[in-house]
Amino acid sequence: MIKSILSFITMLLLITMVSFGIMRMAPGDPTQQFLSPKMGAEDMVQIRKNYGLDDPLPVQYIKWLKNVMQGNLGYSYSTGKPVLTAIVERLPATLILSITSLSCIILIACPLGLFSGANPNKPFDYTVTLLSLITMAMPAFWIGLMLILLFSLKFDLFPTSGYLDPLMSGEPLWRQWLDIAHHLILPLATTVIGGVAGLIRFNRFNVITIIAQDYIKAARARGLGEGRILLKHAFKNASLPIVTILGLSLPDLIGGSLVIEYIFSWPGMGQLGIAAVFQRDYPILMGTVLITSILILTGNRLADMAYRWVDPRIQS
Amino acid sequence: MKFNRFLVLILSVATLFVSACSKSPNSTASDTLNLNIGGEPTILNPILATDAPSSEINGLVFSGLFRINTDMSIVPDLVATYSISTDGLTYTFKLRDNVKWHDGQPFTADDVKFTFDKILDPKTNTVRRSNYLLNGKPIQFTVVDTHIITATLPESNAPFLSNLCMSIIPKHILENQDINTATFNRQPIGTGPFKFQKWDTGQFIILVKNDTYYLKGPKLGRIIAKIIPDTKTALVALEKQEIDSGKIPFKDIEKYQNNTKLNVHEFEDLNYTFMAFNLKNPIFKDIKVRQAIAHAIDKKGLTDKILKGHGSPAHIPAAPISWSYPNNPTFPIFEYNPTQSARLLDQAGWQLNPATKIREKNGKQLSFTLITNQGNQDRERSAQIIQQYLSAIGIQMNIQLMEWSSFVKRINSPTDPKPFDAVMLGWSLDIDPDDTSIWHSKEYPKGFNFIAYNNLQVDTLLDQGRKTIDQNKRKIIYSKLYTQIASDIPYIFLYYPNVITGINKRVKGLSPAGPAGLFNPIENVYIQ
Repeated sequence: MIKSILSFITMLLLITMVSFGIMRMAPGDPTQQFLSPKMGAEDMVQIRKNYGLDDPLPVQYIKWLKNVMQGNLGYSYSTGKPVLTAIVERLPATLILSITSLSCIILIACPLGLFSGANPNKPFDYTVTLLSLITMAMPAFWIGLMLILLFSLKFDLFPTSGYLDPLMSGEPLWRQWLDIAHHLILPLATTVIGGVAGLIRFNRFNVITIIAQDYIKAARARGLGEGRILLKHAFKNASLPIVTILGLSLPDLIGGSLVIEYIFSWPGMGQLGIAAVFQRDYPILMGTVLITSILILTGNRLADMAYRWVDPRIQS
Repeated sequence: MKFNRFLVLILSVATLFVSACSKSPNSTASDTLNLNIGGEPTILNPILATDAPSSEINGLVFSGLFRINTDMSIVPDLVATYSISTDGLTYTFKLRDNVKWHDGQPFTADDVKFTFDKILDPKTNTVRRSNYLLNGKPIQFTVVDTHIITATLPESNAPFLSNLCMSIIPKHILENQDINTATFNRQPIGTGPFKFQKWDTGQFIILVKNDTYYLKGPKLGRIIAKIIPDTKTALVALEKQEIDSGKIPFKDIEKYQNNTKLNVHEFEDLNYTFMAFNLKNPIFKDIKVRQAIAHAIDKKGLTDKILKGHGSPAHIPAAPISWSYPNNPTFPIFEYNPTQSARLLDQAGWQLNPATKIREKNGKQLSFTLITNQGNQDRERSAQIIQQYLSAIGIQMNIQLMEWSSFVKRINSPTDPKPFDAVMLGWSLDIDPDDTSIWHSKEYPKGFNFIAYNNLQVDTLLDQGRKTIDQNKRKIIYSKLYTQIASDIPYIFLYYPNVITGINKRVKGLSPAGPAGLFNPIENVYIQ
């Protein structure tokens, strides 16, 4: 137990140290944002000094680390907001979109993949394959825009963009939730259309491989019904690799999706992260790195534990 | 059967849901103006903010000692009357005495002093400090009475009044706080026509009418400033009337001119796009090469292709709508004349190599790299067209697109010479024509004269223009300045792009279209 905590902390230190280094190797700095005759060049020098960017890199890292240990992630350079606030206030929108879309993707991809895999090269399989290939070829920004043009502008079913209507804040909570859900449909559809195809293809291939195995033949020989073989015997094994993939996509849940957020003005983490990269907002970047790496490390730990539970052959 | 029932249930729930919330409440209410500020504002503190979305909100919540009028003249705002001493060094301002902060506290001269002292404080992360330092010496603000304040300048300074358009911040709130991180920066309290009400990160800011505004109160009850970063989504939102105002791209103008819900306004702005030469580069040291390039570019053709007729070719570093633009132009205009270019290059010793079609001198090719920032399509396309023009006269121009921060870092590099050959960029000009920071030789290598332009006569004219208060005299000085700069060709001035805005027809009370804004003053705007 102590060993695993120690390795956790060492990993965290290494990740943040390397990220800090890489981040600072990128050309530019937070004061190199303004190119306007109305702003003084010498003022940038003063701001650099105020941020402590003139100190040697290791000193800056240790300063940051010391603050983090005291629970202080610092303040954003561009907004002056506490880093933790800046991250936490974007979590709800991010999680709502990522969790619903992941659920929808699984709910659609698993059955479709299973049935196409079980009946390969039949009309149903061809249709699913064709549709998957088409949606895979469509970029998300294009799908998003098409959905906006069709369902928002033409049919007027949904708002073009946004999260919660500005005038909804005084309404009862259920009305607010309904309004968020209403705004959610188009970005959700865009994410699902873009994300479902890959998983279908993956699942289909798994099912085809598994159905060819001896234990399935044995099950058929025992006279089990095709449905039971598919759902009980094949699906369980086919879903194992999917669990791995989902485990790997855990950090994406809080990472947000820039393209979708941008098109639909969705107030998620993707926009925060990208803005921080372009503005060289180091405190925000380090804050996101720290939080995501904690999540990834924890996620990995959890996945390890889950494997041991699912598959007794894996020993600690 | 079971499945069918399930499907019917889902469909009916969905229909109910869509009909329940497809109409949002009141957002097109008769007293609410819906704007799109295009991006998340960084900081709602006028002395710290540098981005357009923040400035747009700050302009509604705060007010300054002076403000910019529709005709771009500078008129008193928080100031009732003022006088200037005969030597032009002491300004005395009598402030309005009926002004209250949004929290009810009275506005006094102490707030004014506090604001400018905070800007001058090195601990404040502001890029505006240098506006209030003249030759390194700060402008002194002295409180004489609760509503009288004087400013003492170390030397005469014409742009001073335009710098007093800076919004004033409340002393009683910020006095004992770290201004860089104060919560005030997200919940501003000002003296302007609108009060801050709510900011939902990444979504919108709501402002409501200030009932105790010192001037004629605003007709609007509320402004909702939405944050829609994607320009295509914003256009759809404009069409759907989710927002009342939006920028329209040149290529879409005809489509929106025929839209029955929108009025399309087009106006000239205070900015120009240019291509600049690093004058420390051996190729560009020779004015013949610069002249050859100037004659090789068909500015009219370029403007037509890029701006589709919504703009005009530029010849000097001032916009035609600025008062400083010469009435009787004496500046040189470099006509499109590739034959002349070829002759100039021959004279400069650059001979065409028929095999490569590139000119050479002493075994060196006439080749250079133009850098510009990624993501600005007009600039990228302009660079490509110029590449063609130059290739026709035997100059090889490579184009390198750079991410903004890396680009700025390269231009601002403190080294001499700087690590670039040529740059394509645009300048957004101030209301005051003082361009010392761009052209003065002391602004190199630290400063915005990143091309190392050095002309003693230009320096003198800039200093004169900065110190002369009389506008007519300044106009003569700037006319000479522009002629001198244009003849030296440190930049190729390319074009002035117009701005095209679509405004919903329900919005009334607009001022004539111009850089000072259609919603200026906002108090006149109403919804019908």
